[in-house]
Amino acid sequence: MAVLNTILRALLCGTLGLMALLRGACGAEAPTEYQVKAVFVYNFSHFVEWPPQGFTAPNAPFIIGILGNDPFGVRLDEAVHGEQIDQHPLLVRRFRSIGEVGDCQILYIDRSESAQLQQILAALDHRSTLTVSELDGSSERGVMIQFTTENNRIRLRINVESARAAGLTISSKLLRPAEIVGTRIGN
Amino acid sequence: MAASSTPIRRTLMRMIFLSAGAVLAVTTTAFCAYEFLTFRQSSVQQLQTLSQAIASNSTAALAFDNADDAATILGAFKADPHIAAAALYDSQGKVFAIYPRGLPAANFPARPGPPGYSFGRARLIGFQPVEEGSTRLGTLFVESDLGAMYARVKLYGLIVFLVIGISVPLAYLISRRLQRQLLQPILALAETTRAVSERHDYTVRAVRTGAYEFDLFTDTFNQMLTQIQLSEAKLHAQLGRLGLLQHITRATGERQDLQSIFQVVLDSLEQNLPMDFGCFLLHDATAQSLTVSVLGAAGRGFADRLGLVEQLDVPLDANGLSRCVAGQLVYEPDVLKVPFPFPQRLAAAGLRSMVIAPLIVENQVFGVLVCARRKEGAFSSGECEFLKQLSEHVALASHQARLYGALQQAYDDLRQSQHTVMQQERLRALGQMASGIAHDINNAISPVSLYTESLLEREPNLSERARGYLTTIQRAIEDVARTVARMREFYREREAQLTLERVDLNRAIRQVVELTRPRWSDLPQQRGVMVDLKTDLDDALPDIMGAEHEIRDALTNLIFNAVDAMPGGGRLTVRTRQSGSADGADRVLVEVSDTGIGMDEDTRRRCLEPFFTTKGERGTGLGLAMVYGMIQRHSAELDIESAAGQGTTVRLSFPAYTASAVTATQVIKVPFVSRRLRILLVDDDPMLIKSLQDTLQEDGHQITATHGGQAGIDSFAAAQKRGECFDIVVTDLGMPHVDGRKVASSVKMMSSTTPVILLTGWGQRLIAANDIPPHVDKLLSKPPRLHELRAALAELVR
Repeated sequence: MAVLNTILRALLCGTLGLMALLRGACGAEAPTEYQVKAVFVYNFSHFVEWPPQGFTAPNAPFIIGILGNDPFGVRLDEAVHGEQIDQHPLLVRRFRSIGEVGDCQILYIDRSESAQLQQILAALDHRSTLTVSELDGSSERGVMIQFTTENNRIRLRINVESARAAGLTISSKLLRPAEIVGTRIGN
Repeated sequence: MAASSTPIRRTLMRMIFLSAGAVLAVTTTAFCAYEFLTFRQSSVQQLQTLSQAIASNSTAALAFDNADDAATILGAFKADPHIAAAALYDSQGKVFAIYPRGLPAANFPARPGPPGYSFGRARLIGFQPVEEGSTRLGTLFVESDLGAMYARVKLYGLIVFLVIGISVPLAYLISRRLQRQLLQPILALAETTRAVSERHDYTVRAVRTGAYEFDLFTDTFNQMLTQIQLSEAKLHAQLGRLGLLQHITRATGERQDLQSIFQVVLDSLEQNLPMDFGCFLLHDATAQSLTVSVLGAAGRGFADRLGLVEQLDVPLDANGLSRCVAGQLVYEPDVLKVPFPFPQRLAAAGLRSMVIAPLIVENQVFGVLVCARRKEGAFSSGECEFLKQLSEHVALASHQARLYGALQQAYDDLRQSQHTVMQQERLRALGQMASGIAHDINNAISPVSLYTESLLEREPNLSERARGYLTTIQRAIEDVARTVARMREFYREREAQLTLERVDLNRAIRQVVELTRPRWSDLPQQRGVMVDLKTDLDDALPDIMGAEHEIRDALTNLIFNAVDAMPGGGRLTVRTRQSGSADGADRVLVEVSDTGIGMDEDTRRRCLEPFFTTKGERGTGLGLAMVYGMIQRHSAELDIESAAGQGTTVRLSFPAYTASAVTATQVIKVPFVSRRLRILLVDDDPMLIKSLQDTLQEDGHQITATHGGQAGIDSFAAAQKRGECFDIVVTDLGMPHVDGRKVASSVKMMSSTTPVILLTGWGQRLIAANDIPPHVDKLLSKPPRLHELRAALAELVR
């Protein structure tokens, strides 16, 4: 399996490398915003620690959910393809509504869900789900990680309280490049 | 000391330094190597740890593409000043962040290398993967400039330098101190050895230093030195004694008499051995006694105290002296302990030790050498041995001296004998010649004598003048006969038959002076030379007993010699004196002295030898020899005092006449034969026969004269036959073919009662030897005196 994985990874790398070369050949095209954000989402799985009870089984899939419209397209699938956290294989699921969301370790809340954000967060209360959104001010509202763009660079705002409340431990390393925010009640 | 000890000191120092240095070098090298390796390892580890930490911190920056954050994280490398460069690459291998900011791209690789750390040129580089969980996020490149390592190495170098810097002087000080302990005894020994070998001074000793092995060595060395010192001293003494022995041997070899040999030996021993007292005693084997021969000069004080003087007899005691006389060397270390007279005598004089060495020649001890010293036990065995050898040398030298003395004596005797024999041989030859001449002269003058006597007796009518001449002729003949007899006999010792009578020497001298006047006065005057003869005669001179004619002849000879010694003239003195001699008997001195040329020593010594002459053809060499003969016959003494150019004095010393002296001359009245005798005359000389016949016939006898012995015998036999027996036979002794002895025996055979008178030119000699031949009744010497003949006839024919 490992060998297969390595081959697959090599193939992927080779493909990516080929693509990069092609891109380079076409005028050094920078990765798209969602491409970067897809990798970031995937990377969160490395810097956040989930409580073991968050998984139904030791080999239960690590699910990255997209609530609302999917801005990533296949990019997120590409980013997680074949990856696994511990023994949990990574899976990308797309949810229409919060109601559909079951077990989910990372939930990307798309801009389209802006209105329902309060309900979503409430629904996810006490569930070990890392919430990620690019909605402005969402972190202050209770979303754990918010993407912002600063000088054409994607930056992170992290609400450590929310994460702690959800039983998640965010690595200090992740906190380092991020902006720490607190929950503002009443807004 | 410094010069030759430096190598050992240097070597020791080198040894210590090399060993210490080697230990130090190995230790510090090992330490440095260990530290270096350890430090390398720890450097890698340190860098790795640092890199891991930075890498771990960089994950989020990489994961969330935050280059600023990554640069900040890399800024943490500032904590380590040796980090020269660092770079973070993303998973694509692109440079994501660098340290320090603005680092030129040349200082880090464009793409990351494989993970791991390696030492490059003066730097340590490492590629650390950046992973979060199992996800590789990128790579971290780190480069350390190894300055820490060099700093560490420098520190170690400094430490090593300090360690060496401290330990070297410390090692030097310690080694110096240890060396001193070690070297001091060695150097002291070396110094001693040098002193011994360079100065040949065996009295030095190495000093003990307290180190056990060295002390043992030092003690052994000192013992060896003591041995050498003793041997050296012995050798020295032995050499000294050898030299002394040689000196003495040479000194004795130069001497030929025992006394001076002994003296020189004692002198040498006293000065050089040395000794306090020494003497030689001579051993008389038959008398069993020792006699002091020579005493050492330096030990005279002891000799006086010992009561020893030369020629003193020393009794042989039972121990020391007798043992020595038996041939042993006797050494008494302490004479006090020897209870015998001689050692006790030495002890009493203050001498304590003695050595007595025997002098042995041909297994006979002929003497002993006594050496003594004040101190007890003062003679070493070497000295005893030396004295033993010396005594052998002395004995040999003494023996040689004795042999030399004996040889010299024998040689002198031999020379004397040879001289005497030579003299006798000459005299014998002379005697034989003289005898022959005498015989002929006697025969020749016999007729003169017979006729003269006959004329004086039987011719009463002779004139006074003729009678006077005849008397002179008769005296001259008698003198001739005596001279001839003396000439024949002069070499003989004084004869019993020498007719001694009282002689007035003064009268004889006056006669001689008068007789020789032509010689000392007339002949020189003819040559214009003046010889002044003086007589200085003692009027009270006693008579002497002697033969006057001999004395006259001797004086004549002396005067002739004196005149011959003064060819240019001079004074000749004849002096008589009387003197007393030791035995009280008076002696009469006659002195003939001249002022002539004298004689040198050689001439003076030989002048008495027969045929020795200084007068060449004029001299016979018999003058002084005859004087000497006369002197011997008269028991007189002859003394010649002369020197070349100083004249000559001849002294004759006669014993004076005493009443007891024998008077030999008796005047006997000759008996006369009255009857007429028939006489047979036998002779080979016709003149003698004729004269005898004439004179005897005038006496009235009937004479038958025969010529030769055989004719005589025949004539006697014929007369016997005829019955005309001869009353007496007068025969000559010396005749050819048949001599007088044969005639006498033949006559006696034919007629034993017929007396035989033998006439001989050798008559006196025969009488002297009591050698009257058998059958001869009377021996008469030629020339025959008529009165003697008559007396013989009267005696034999009754």
